[in-house]
Amino acid sequence: MHEMGIASSVIETVRAEAAQHPGARVTKVGLRIGELSGVDAASLTFCFEALVKETELESAILAIEDAGCDELDLTYLEMEE
Amino acid sequence: MERVPLERKVLSENDRIAAGLRERFAERGILALNFISSPGSGKTMLLERTLGAFPAGKRVAVLTGDIQTDNDAQRLAKYGFPVRQISTGGACHLDARMIERGLEGWDLDQIDLLFIENVGNLVCPTSYDLGERAKVVVLSVTEGEDKPLKYPGIFHKAELMILNKIDLLPYVPFKIELARECANRVHPGMEIIEVSCTTGAGLDVWQGWLEHRRGH
Repeated sequence: MHEMGIASSVIETVRAEAAQHPGARVTKVGLRIGELSGVDAASLTFCFEALVKETELESAILAIEDAGCDELDLTYLEMEE
Repeated sequence: MERVPLERKVLSENDRIAAGLRERFAERGILALNFISSPGSGKTMLLERTLGAFPAGKRVAVLTGDIQTDNDAQRLAKYGFPVRQISTGGACHLDARMIERGLEGWDLDQIDLLFIENVGNLVCPTSYDLGERAKVVVLSVTEGEDKPLKYPGIFHKAELMILNKIDLLPYVPFKIELARECANRVHPGMEIIEVSCTTGAGLDVWQGWLEHRRGH
């Protein structure tokens, strides 16, 4: 179970990126997870939701796209002013 | 709504540190290997047998990871080579930063071969690049032949599979051909070496692989 660490890395990157867009609220985080990445999407979502609770990212949702190899990529952020 | 494309690896910070380690190893011609298996498949015993066969003065060092205890470091230190325990304090895998810290104070110019024994776990260590030249997965005949199918990530990424405990084959229903077939489905052409760390069978083939791999 290392999805908690992965979720922390996702949040770190999202925060760094969001800092470039002052005043914007992150609503969606796009991820690509390969079936050989060793990361479970449901478990990652659970950890992400636990970590963003009562933070500025609370309303952000993870949009996870399946992939065929060992991908573990952040693909996009959606933000609202 | 604004969509900002990112296209970066989630573990980019770990990958950045791992790339730095890989460069340090490459500059010195160090062969760094990352050993991954489930708990109890015999990683530490394999390293004990490997260290035990080296002549004194062999330029080898070991970092060994566990969640708790320094039992493995104590076992491995008996052979007279530098050994350090990395206690992850709960984490189920080693990451590149732990390796960077683990190497602190060691003169890498004095090392040709670095063994990194990961935490016993077939899933989590797979995601974390440690700057190694190759991952080595250890499977033992007391496990299921279909482990490669159940944990495809590590069997896909490993360059070599060591099939350990073959001395137990007469007592367990393990079918080597089936295990090879499962490994091949996930990683066609992966090298497989059969060994017994108890009897020493196959260890010469493993040592040959190490020597060969050091040169490349």
